[in-house]
Order: sequence, then C-alpha cells, then structure tokens
Amino acid sequence: MKVDRKETLRYLGYRGSQLDEQTEKMIEEVTAELERDSLPKSVYREYDCKVVENQVRIGQYTVVSNHLAKNLQGCERAVILAATIGRAADLMIKKYSVVNMAKATVVQAAGASAIENYVDEVEDEIRKSAESRGLYLRPRFSPGYGDFPLECQKDIFQMLECSKRIGITLTEGNLMMPTKSVTAVIGLTTEKYQSCHQKNCSRCEKTDCEFREE
Amino acid sequence: MELKERLGKEILFFDGAMGTMLQARGLQTGEIPELWNMTHEEVILDVHKQYLEAGCDIVKANTFGINPFKMEGTGFTCEELTKKGIELVKRAIQETGKKAYTALDIGSLGKLLEPLGDLPFEEAYEAFKPVCIAGEQAGADLCLIETMNDTYEIKAAVLAAKENTNLPIVVTMVFDEGGKLLTGADMEAAVAMLEGLRVDAIGLNCGFGPDVMKEFLPKLREVCSLPIVVNPNAGLPVVVDGKTCFHVGPEEFASIMTEIADEGISVMGGCCGTTPAHIKALVEKCKGKKPLEITDKGRSVVSSYTHAVVLDSRPKIIGERINPTGKSRLKQALRENDLEYIYKEALAQQDMGAHILDVNVGLPEIDEVAMMKSVLTGLQGITDLPLQIDTSDMEAMEQGMRLYNGKPLINSVNGKQESMDAVFPLVAKYGGMVVCLTLDENGIPETAEGRIEIAKRIIAEAERYGIQKKDLLMDTLCMTISTGQENAKITLDALDYVRNTLGVHTTLGVSNVSFGLPQRELVNTAFYTIALSRGLSAGIINPNSEKMMAAYHSYCALNGSDTQCTDYINIYSQQADAPKKAADKKEVTLYDAVVRGLIDSAYQAAKKELETREPLAVIDEELIPALDKVGQGFEKKTVFLPQLLMSADAAKAGFDAIKEFLQAKGDASASKGTIVIATVKGDIHDIGKNIVKVLLENYGFNVIDLGKDVPPETVVEAVKENNVKLVGLSALMTTTVVNMETTIKMLKEEVPECKVMVGGAVLTQTYADMIGADFYSKDAMGSVRYANELFEA
Repeated sequence: MKVDRKETLRYLGYRGSQLDEQTEKMIEEVTAELERDSLPKSVYREYDCKVVENQVRIGQYTVVSNHLAKNLQGCERAVILAATIGRAADLMIKKYSVVNMAKATVVQAAGASAIENYVDEVEDEIRKSAESRGLYLRPRFSPGYGDFPLECQKDIFQMLECSKRIGITLTEGNLMMPTKSVTAVIGLTTEKYQSCHQKNCSRCEKTDCEFREE
Repeated sequence: MELKERLGKEILFFDGAMGTMLQARGLQTGEIPELWNMTHEEVILDVHKQYLEAGCDIVKANTFGINPFKMEGTGFTCEELTKKGIELVKRAIQETGKKAYTALDIGSLGKLLEPLGDLPFEEAYEAFKPVCIAGEQAGADLCLIETMNDTYEIKAAVLAAKENTNLPIVVTMVFDEGGKLLTGADMEAAVAMLEGLRVDAIGLNCGFGPDVMKEFLPKLREVCSLPIVVNPNAGLPVVVDGKTCFHVGPEEFASIMTEIADEGISVMGGCCGTTPAHIKALVEKCKGKKPLEITDKGRSVVSSYTHAVVLDSRPKIIGERINPTGKSRLKQALRENDLEYIYKEALAQQDMGAHILDVNVGLPEIDEVAMMKSVLTGLQGITDLPLQIDTSDMEAMEQGMRLYNGKPLINSVNGKQESMDAVFPLVAKYGGMVVCLTLDENGIPETAEGRIEIAKRIIAEAERYGIQKKDLLMDTLCMTISTGQENAKITLDALDYVRNTLGVHTTLGVSNVSFGLPQRELVNTAFYTIALSRGLSAGIINPNSEKMMAAYHSYCALNGSDTQCTDYINIYSQQADAPKKAADKKEVTLYDAVVRGLIDSAYQAAKKELETREPLAVIDEELIPALDKVGQGFEKKTVFLPQLLMSADAAKAGFDAIKEFLQAKGDASASKGTIVIATVKGDIHDIGKNIVKVLLENYGFNVIDLGKDVPPETVVEAVKENNVKLVGLSALMTTTVVNMETTIKMLKEEVPECKVMVGGAVLTQTYADMIGADFYSKDAMGSVRYANELFEA
C-alpha cells in the first residue's frame, strides 16, 4: 500500500503555493510512518445481480435505492467489497492530536489517500478477473452515496464477514472502524465502458456517460 | 476423566467446521447459522454426529455467533439459542454413544472496544455473560473462545467466563501473516495476557491452512507455558462464483497436521473448510501421539495491547513522570481533569525511551477510581507501552487491572499481611507482574538482611496464590542518603541478594536516594549506575533526564546487553551536531518562530521576551499578530492546513511560556471566554473539531472539548454548568447532521441565549440555516473569527 502524495496535498487544501521545507519534511515522515504501520486487508465476493426499477438484488440480498439501481442498470453480476488499511492511521491521529495537530491532519489526509489507493488496487484485481470473462466494471458505489442507505453496511458486513476476515467493525451509527475503510458495490457489465475507472473519466470518449465524473 | 487433567497429557481432537457444513446444506451467505439450532435442528444434529463418528473428542456447539448484538431482531434470545446449541451436541453424543466433551463456542462480537472503537469494555463483558451462563447451565464442559483478533475483547470474554462459570477456558486466536492479531498484538503480548488470566489452553484457529500455521508454532511454543491448540482452515479461503471454497483435502490436511503434532501440540482440530473427512484423517494419523511435555518458560513479562516487555539481562526503564508526588503541574492537571497534559507526559517519556509507564493519579481531593479508569483507558489509546498501575487504593487497583488491555505491572504489595491479602488475589485473578516493597508491619528494616527476610516472606505468600517468583519485582526501597549515608548500601546489598541469590527481578524508585541534596541528578545518576551493576532489573526513573538516560545507555553498552553497542551508537553518534542547532534557534524572533511553526524556538523566544516585556504585550504584539498573519495566509490559500497548525502549535508553546511565567508570579492567566465544542452523536470523525480546538485555544479561549459521539443532553448540560455563550458542533456525515439539528434544537430550547456555530465536511450555509445554527464556519479560521466577534461584542 502506498500513499499518493499529490492526493494527500489535495486533501490538505494545498493549492500549489509555496511548500516550505519543514512542512514537506513532516509530510514525508508522517507518510513513511503510516506506510510502515498500515496493514491493508480486503475481502470481496461476486454475486448474481438483478435490477428491477429501484430494486436491486445482489445474490440473496435485496436493497431499494434509485441511485444504486441506476448505477447497476444492466449488470448481471456485481461485486461487493470491503477494504481497510487497518488501525495505524486512527492510532496515529489519536496520538498526534495530543502532541502535534499538524501531524494529525497529515495522517488524516495521507490515510484517506492510502485507502483510496488501496481500494483502487483491489479494484484492479477485480477488473482483471472480470475482463478475462468479458465483463467490465462500473464505478464503485458505497452505502451512504445518494439514497443507498448507510444501514446496508450491516448486511454487507454480514455477507463478507468483515469483522472476522479483515477486522472492520461497525459503530451503532453504521460507521466503520478503523475509519480508513471502504465498502462498495461494483457492477459488472458486458458493455465496454472503456475508461469507467473513476480516475480516467476525463479520458473517456463516452462524454454522455451518466457515471462520468467531472 | 476431567478435561483439565487430560489437557497436555495426550493429544485431544476438536471437530471441524460447522459453517462449511451448513453452507453445503443450503445456508445462504449472510444468513445467521446459529438460528439453525431452532429452524434446522436435524441438520445441526447430523453435523455433530458426523464429527463424532470421525473420532473427535471435543465438539463445538453451534453457538459461535450468539451475542446480543447479532441476535437483536431475530426473535430468539441468546440464552435459548445457546441452550439449544449445547443440547444438540449432548443429544448427538448420546445418540452416537461416543465419548466427547461439549464446547460452548464463543466468537467475536463484531465490535471494536474503546478506546479505539465505541464499545465500552464492560458492555462487551455483559454481552458475553449470558451466553457463558446459559452454556454452563445447559451442560457445556468447556468454554472455547475462538477466532478472536483483539486481546481486549478476549479479556472481556475470559472474565465473563471466569466470573460466571467454572468451565475450563480455551482461547484460540487468528494471527495474520505477520504474526499479529488484527488489532495489533503479537503472539508474546497475547500469550502474556492470557497466561496472566490463567486460561487453560491457548492456540491458533482460522485464517490459514495448516501449512502456514505450522510456521507460527515454534514462536508460540517459545513463549507459551500452556497446552497449545491448533485449529486451522482447510487452506486459504478462495472465492469462486460468490462462494468461499477451501482447497486443502483431508489427506493433505492430516499429513501436515502430523508434523504439527510433532511440534508438541496438545489439541488439534479444524476450522473453516474442514469436514468430517478431514477430522477422520487427522484422528487416524495422530491418535496416540504424545504431546511434548508442557514446560514453564519462566518468562518475566508484562504486556501492552501490542507487545510484551520481557525482564531479562537488559535492564528496563519505568517512566516515573505520571505521579503527582512533588509535581505541582501534574496535581493541577489531575484536579482540572486535564488529561491531555498527562498524555503529553506519557508520549514524551515514550520518545525518550521508557519501556513501561508508571501511572499514579492519587490525590486526596479527586475520585481516584474514576481517574484511574479514564487515564488508563485514554493512555491505551495513544501509547502502546505497558503500564504500571500504581495506587494504594484497592478499588482503583482492581478497576485498573480489569480495564487494562494486556498484562500490567502492579505497584504495589508489601510484606504486611493486610496488603498481601488484598493484592495477591487480584494478581491471581487478573494477572500481572507485581512490585513488592520490602517493608511490613514493623516498617522498613534498617538492614539488608531485614529487607531480604521480608522479600522471602512475600515470595512464599505469593506462591500460595499460585503467583510465581517470575511475576514478582522486588523493591528493596531506596531511602535518601541525606538522612543516613548507609541507606544506599543497605538498599543495594538487599537488591543484589534478591536478584542474584533469590533469582527475583528488582526495581527501585531511584530518585528517592537524593532527596534533600543539591544537584540531585548527579547523585541519582551515580546511584542508578551502581544499582544497575548490582542487578536492578527495571528502575523507576525520569526518562526525560539526559544524564540518567546516558547512564542507562552506557550501562547497556558496557554490560553487553546492547549488542554491538547498536543503540548507543544510534543515539549518541549525532549529538555533536546538537549545539549548532541550538545556536540557530536563538536567532529567531517569537513572531518569526510562530509564523514558521517552530515549536521549541517559539517557547525559547517567548521566555526571552518575558525578560524585558510584559506578558500582555508579548501576546498582543507578537503572538496574535503572528497568528493573524498565518490565518490570513490560510484564508487567501497561500498557507495550507499543516502550516496553519504548526504555527498554532508554536504559538501554544509561546503561550505555555507565558503561563508558566504568570504562574510563577502567582497571577492567573486571563481567558477571553469559554467555548464548548463537540462532535455530534453518532459521528466518530473528530479531527475537524480538534483543529478548531487548537486554534481557539491559541486565540486565548478556554475550550471545553466534549469529544466525539456526544449526545445532545451532554452538550446542553456542559453549557448550563459552565454558563457558556458559544457552542461549536461538528458533523462529518450526512447521516449525523440530523443529530446536529437535534442538539441545536435542544440548546435553543434550554439555553436560548447560547450561540451555536457548526462545521463539517457535508455542511453548507444552506444546511446550517436549515438546522437553525447561528453561524456556519467553512473552516477552522472562520470559527475563530466568529468567536472573536461574539466575545468582543
């Protein structure tokens, strides 16, 4: 697992002005500590998928959500995935919040960048397996996006045995701990949206794609 | 024969997977397997029978996932599901006519405990308790706590079993490829805690197949003095077509397990993916093998939730700074419930090289039990060092030991019968190494012989509780030489005898030796060095003292425990550069130091300013203008967040210098006003709130930080109690903005004059208006501006 330094800076609100030596050094140090101590883990499973109006059926599981239904429209298969970079980021944030708030903020940003990067890696793995079967990935869609209810976390956790397999747990409010964790649904479709990978939208020729990110 | 008598004397066999078998019979992913105790009784019964026929000695009841959190809304109680689960095993045993033990199977709650998660330790305990009780009542023969990946949760489960049943306890855990639990503990740490809690067997299950698990066994055997259990998967889980599959077949499984048996394993069986065929093959190949004899590894060890600290030939350092004796600033922090100050002390000692931290929070005017609980919990959230629970209040000691995540050091017991009667039962129950003071009803003996006699008595009494010498840390009591020059010799002679003749580890509160003398550090350092050479295992010292640390590192280099002087060279080879750096720092003005975010320089510069200027002038003409400059830069986006916060931390160091100056003069520092801040209920992301806190404090506000996941009532209460006119609320998630609205509503109803400012990732001005906030702050600086306007008006 690697931290994308540019993303870290973006999360920190960096707009390209001067980056002094001291700040730069601190970011380097914190990033190295986070990369050293993180324990990325993931689990995913693929299911049959069927969308009828706003009802999405994934394996035995049914959820009602307009946005998810739109996202999975036409997909016969879907992957449910969960991933985390482990507890190190949370511990570092806690520790540095006491002695050095600037560092805590950098951990927060670097951790966000790290989990995104890691989920991208996992997604690449899924993409390869899918493409070998002539299937293509829709952008990943997580509980809490649009009207895809956060309560669905509970079901996803049960389906993937998240706490047992990769050590993520849910709070009463269905938030994940460690906090640098992601769950998502990824639709698999036979239609080739060539560059549907979230970061490549700008390169894609399909400019009228409804999943396009600006 | 009782299971306990057989454990470790012959190889016993667990059964294999239940989940795998049920999936083959139609259990869907996501379906709760334990409900099948009620809905598919015959299937469960049949699985048990198949395993019994395969030849297992211990059958795991289908109770793994039963807990109040998972069973909520299923229509069944934990008790009825557990009882049914046990009954089904019993019935299977009876109907097959086989002899076997019934294991109450207890798995993880699926929740992370405080301080890293949101589940309080005692609630975890309460969740395990009914299952333990029901299991024993229904006739379980042992309690198997398995597939665990967090030591703290294991401790809650073990205590629930120990305090509510008489069942033998077996604990098996899931280590990852790096040999760690998901929550960070390595094997040594987990074993230290479990041996302290006196469970009956320890082992590994799930996660891997037998081949990988085999690699872990030498390490486990090296550190573990209990019978070892191994229940691997039938290989790594592989997902094919949405279904989890396992690829290690019965023959392969059994053949690797034969090699495992030769490693000296006492109990073997299977986890995910294993079937009756696996167990049958295993039993055929391994039945009759003798486990290696269980030997006591004699390790003197304490542990945190991540790692163990072993007392061996390399002395260890116990940091003494969290102890209010003689420290007025710490006393003040305790009285004001300023835990942050304590945490900083802890982290500073850790940075300087302490191995264990002493925690003493006893002051006559505070509730020591409550303080011990909150400080211990808080410390475990920010440092991974083992802690020494230092108190003479037995209730604080017990609560501390109960809440501690690991095997603690306990300070202390002494030779008085009353003391031993109170402390040893606690050590026997919760585990721990214990500091033993060589004094008794007649006081402190004035001879080494007298102290040695007491040491021997303590050792003998401890043994009656099954507490071995390896878990004692004898303190031969360091007295000041200013009242009797022979004091050092008495202490050292007794220490030498205890360590080198009785073979018990030793400790001393080193700095006591110099009370009443000038330049105490000189005497302390010399005495410390001598004590180390006479056999001091773990001195209680100030790790922030460079001289003491130099003595320590030099000693370790000299006695050969710092192999190839590696640490010594690492620490001291760069020291030549230090004076030059210090010279650089002096050049910086306070204003520059804050703007550039130089913490040490800001502190030094502020001290220097105070020699010639009034404190208020330093604040108004240096600190605030510097902060404003950075703040404006932030709003213009020429300065970004880490720089803003570095400046804030530097300014804080400057303010600290001023506070110290004022305190020395007896002046109380003036505050611009008090603000309550909180992250709303349900939300656990609080970094934004913490940033706001740092900035508000730097602009001279007194901030009451209620933390995260704060119920509306708590906010209202804090506002009323402190007569506060501004509250800051943060919420990161869309789902928790509703709780923000509720909090604002309640505030407006009960304290209408109080203003509320809000912020957070998902908030906008429109949202803020909608939920009735008085001010929406798009970033941390905005909250400072609003607070300034409000309090200056």
